Amino acid sequence: MQTITSREELIRLRESVISKIDTSKPTITLCGGTGCSAFGSQKVYDAFEAEIKRLRLEDKVTLKRTGCHGFCERGPILVILPQEIFYQKVKPSDVPDIIRKTIIKNEVVRQLLYVDPRTGERIVKESEVPFYKHQMRLVFRHNGKIDPISFDDYIRYDGFQALLKILYEMTPPQVVDEIKKSGVRGRGGAGFPTGLKWEFARKSPETKRYVICNGDEGDPGAFMDRSVMEGDPFAVIEGLMIAGYAIGAKKGYIYVRAEYPLAVKNLTIAIETLKKMSLLGKNILGREFDFDVIIKQGAGAFVCGEETALIASIEGKRGMPKPRPPFPAESGLWGKPTVINNVETLANLPLIIIKGAEWYASIGTKDSKGTKIFALAGKINNTGLVEVPIGTSLRKIIEDIGGGIPKGRTFKAVQMGGPSGGCVPAEYLDLPVDYESLKSVGAIMGSGGMIVMDNTTCMVDIARYFLDFCQKESCGKCVPCRIGTKRMLEIATRFTKGEAQAGDIEKLKALAESVRDSSLCGLGQTAPNPVLSTLRYFSNEYEAHLAERYCPSSACEVLVKSPCQNACPAHINVPQYNELVRQKEYLRAVNLIRRSVPLPSSLGRVCFRPCESVCRRGEIDTSIAINHIKRYITENSKSEIRNPKSQLFPFNAPEIFNPRKKDKKVAIIGAGPAGLSAAYFLRIMGREVTVFEKNKSAGGLLANGIPAYRLPKKVVQDEINLLKAMGIAIKANSPISARKQWDVLRNQFDAIFIAVGATKSKTLGVPGENIKGVVDALQFLDNMINGRIKKVPQKVTVIGGGNSAIDSARSALRLGAKEVTVIYRRSLDEMPAHKEEIQDAMQEGVKFRFLAAPAQVTCNKGSNWLRCQEMTLGPADKSGRRKPVPKAGSDFTVEAGLVITAISQTPDLEFAQPDIELTPWGGIKVNPLTMETSQKGVFAGGDTITNAGMVIYAIATGQKAAVAIDRYLGGAGKLPENIDPLLTYSTDLKGPHDPLKDDRQAIQHIPLKKRAGNFKEVICGYSDSAAYNEASRCLRCDLENKEYGK
Amino acid sequence: MQPPTDTQINEVIRGFPRNNASLLIPILQTIQEKFGYIPPESLTAIGKHTNVSRNKIYGVLTFYAQFTTIPRGKYIVRPCRGTACHVRGAKNVLTRIRQKLGIEDGQTSPDYKFSLETVACMGACALAPTVVVGNDYYGKMTPDEIGDIIDTYKHKE
Repeated sequence: MQTITSREELIRLRESVISKIDTSKPTITLCGGTGCSAFGSQKVYDAFEAEIKRLRLEDKVTLKRTGCHGFCERGPILVILPQEIFYQKVKPSDVPDIIRKTIIKNEVVRQLLYVDPRTGERIVKESEVPFYKHQMRLVFRHNGKIDPISFDDYIRYDGFQALLKILYEMTPPQVVDEIKKSGVRGRGGAGFPTGLKWEFARKSPETKRYVICNGDEGDPGAFMDRSVMEGDPFAVIEGLMIAGYAIGAKKGYIYVRAEYPLAVKNLTIAIETLKKMSLLGKNILGREFDFDVIIKQGAGAFVCGEETALIASIEGKRGMPKPRPPFPAESGLWGKPTVINNVETLANLPLIIIKGAEWYASIGTKDSKGTKIFALAGKINNTGLVEVPIGTSLRKIIEDIGGGIPKGRTFKAVQMGGPSGGCVPAEYLDLPVDYESLKSVGAIMGSGGMIVMDNTTCMVDIARYFLDFCQKESCGKCVPCRIGTKRMLEIATRFTKGEAQAGDIEKLKALAESVRDSSLCGLGQTAPNPVLSTLRYFSNEYEAHLAERYCPSSACEVLVKSPCQNACPAHINVPQYNELVRQKEYLRAVNLIRRSVPLPSSLGRVCFRPCESVCRRGEIDTSIAINHIKRYITENSKSEIRNPKSQLFPFNAPEIFNPRKKDKKVAIIGAGPAGLSAAYFLRIMGREVTVFEKNKSAGGLLANGIPAYRLPKKVVQDEINLLKAMGIAIKANSPISARKQWDVLRNQFDAIFIAVGATKSKTLGVPGENIKGVVDALQFLDNMINGRIKKVPQKVTVIGGGNSAIDSARSALRLGAKEVTVIYRRSLDEMPAHKEEIQDAMQEGVKFRFLAAPAQVTCNKGSNWLRCQEMTLGPADKSGRRKPVPKAGSDFTVEAGLVITAISQTPDLEFAQPDIELTPWGGIKVNPLTMETSQKGVFAGGDTITNAGMVIYAIATGQKAAVAIDRYLGGAGKLPENIDPLLTYSTDLKGPHDPLKDDRQAIQHIPLKKRAGNFKEVICGYSDSAAYNEASRCLRCDLENKEYGK
Repeated sequence: MQPPTDTQINEVIRGFPRNNASLLIPILQTIQEKFGYIPPESLTAIGKHTNVSRNKIYGVLTFYAQFTTIPRGKYIVRPCRGTACHVRGAKNVLTRIRQKLGIEDGQTSPDYKFSLETVACMGACALAPTVVVGNDYYGKMTPDEIGDIIDTYKHKE
């Protein structure tokens, strides 16, 4: 290896390296980063070596092991240059194909290409893959292109050009000025301006100074520094040399954590190489600049990322922080002025020097310049390292680059900045990611860790997790941090175990604030951040853990029997009914379900299935078809269901239900799912129940709002007959609409449950909406179901995106419309209707016009005309959904003989005014634990309190209210499940059981041809074998907890 | 399991310059790497060599998670308890490892084959949940998979 002692020698060496490059020769760059290595990239490398040797292709192709490409999710990754062909998930067995086709014949191996999950398109070029397309890779410019430990590779691009420039063209103060002008801020977390830090050190009268590279990347969830040190070690060293030159230091330290052996190895090789070439040592490149670099390995202490603790660790002491000031820039390592810069900061420096401060300052936002690398991990499709200009929105990073949330789950929050940071909820998805914006919402940029969390991540558990981390990592020097984090952890743990006590939320908050305000160093001062930010945005989750001993995310295992049962608002025991299906014990299965809900057969057809979205089987392939199995059970116990004298729960359980007991009178207004559910449970508890229903038939939307092709009316009727047989009086055609009637009810009954639903349609708020031919969806569906509509015009337009919009559209087609269009103001992704319903509607021929909203309805030439406006999606609202904003000048007109408006509804509560307090939305305000309203003895549930439109949710509110009403009337308020949970079923697994054998069993639909012009049920239900196989797929999470003794 | 002799330890220490307190951590790291742990008897020799008192060395030794004064097993099983791993179910993976090995965090199996040491974050978040056995990384673990992997190490020499 030759020595380089002057500018000319370096330039000559570089020219000779470049001249030797054969541009016609393809290069295979195989990722050797930690991620790809874990997926077996070494074996792929060996296979390439062997294949190249076997075919004697050594002169025809270059094989190179590079640093991390960033898209770790898809490892092992390789890119073939110069064509930039991107292959992912490469196995050793793919190697011969790649050599034969791509290297020799210049053809693409299609099955190794990345498939865009949104378009299904196979993408050839690396830069076209969505993960890379939206990035700006500056710090990562070499990663994935060069062999990290090859000096030639490093100088081939722009390596050491910056060092040349400063040594020959700039004085140290000029370098400091240039960095100050660039506006680059420390990437370690706090974002202190790098140039300013240098200036402080330069001002010191001490001439012995030090620079330290902080590579103690300890934040769980951050791994960009690792990737840079492993993949581009020369750039880190060059950055350190620039810093050393600028502040006048002759010695630099690189402090790397012990968990990063590959980083240590590559940095050590790079330092040795530079020493041998005289690029480290005395008079570097023939100038008056002496510099040496020493690697220090950390020994596993998170607090050593704090600069004063890091210095103590280098000095050989316990890594305990010191109070600042004095800052290390004045008095640091061995009392000398010391500048500590983060790995990523240093890797930015060569580029700033080469391209100039002005260029650098043009990237990013006003106060945050340049790019930032984020480590995207957690519940996201594309995990990996992402470099974007600072100020890019979270939405772009998570949706466009990260590819969104897997398994159809919903985004809940992203944790920024690890244990020192905070979470950012959905409503701030459009926030530009920069130092100040993040601070304003209670998070921090930190080192750039971005852990995405979905609806199955419990925020209380996350806070507990970080407290556990900080408590373990606290160095113990100061009391607030040492004891405060411990006490906070104890309180948070109580929440996750269902042992929290009243006042714990306040105690946690007070403790968090005092630890924040009184700890000695950054670790303690920021340790309470995760608690404070989850309390700020997710206090409802803390409250659920406290008041209901309930974990809404199905994550806290002590509180969760199985995720599905926990996620079901009515807590149906799913794993055990699956087992009963395997035992072919259908009657026992339906009895089990009926302990939790009164209408299993209807639910088995229309449920929204929150259970399936959390099913652990979904982590392996697809979740269990919980609802199809439920329907199968009810079909197979049909004769029992129809016969009120059968062995059906609760008739078969005299210890739970006594038909003769009728104590205290309860009035229920509305015979929808919520009302019927309250009636059912109150009746089991021995109350005399009367249900007042305004329509001819009971069932609410189940009977009068959902078309028969989804839910045959007979199914609902059979279930309601059973309720009647229990002694529940249902008074049809008895609307409660006047104040006088209300007063009578108040006098005659001991308690009242209001479940009138939300049937008062909101108006569109556009001119012409009152003309004939514009109808409300619920009205339309009701008329249609009850036979008052036989025919519709040729062209029908439905406005809205919920289930009643889809129901109206599909019904209109069946009634003979030739063209049915659904106009929805957001895009398909935001549509609240069930995805399967939308799909079925599309198959049946319903057209969709997304991102459009009506502006005016006119009547002309015997038809109606709808003038619409196109929409674009603006920033997110509180729910995290993006608000539609009209596009100027985008009007278009459609003809519509019939316009069906299916926008939101509110409850009609005139009769109870002004007694009952309402919410701003127009629903009844209730105590969420008891469903009690502002009036004593009056309770409410279902769509009357929130417009959720979910049957199972309405049933759950009825269940909850029944408990509270019974207690209000002096009873114990015990649900069947709590009286004798093991009465009708056994938990044992029977017979041979291999749950992993099959993927989800397909469900049959009747053919499209057979759907036109009739309302026959579309979904056919499972066959015996399909139901058995599907139930066998259940992983029985409930047993796991039992097995582990929880 | 034979503890290293004084001569063996002195051989390691002599490789470092004398009287330099800042070399304490590298010396401890080298001893640990060589013998798998830091024999408490070695503190006197280290103290003489570095001119650091034994109680200070003990303070450093017990401060850093990397060091242990108890012999460790041949294969160190290191499940990551980082955030990304946590949200992707690291807890169930750890539970299975504990069951499989019959030891708790920080313990070593009686046959000195396995030690279990959880790691705060491995920095391999894209592979979450991650487990490192010896020097091998295993990504996207499930309880069943890690169970099988441990079995293969059990049968290895």
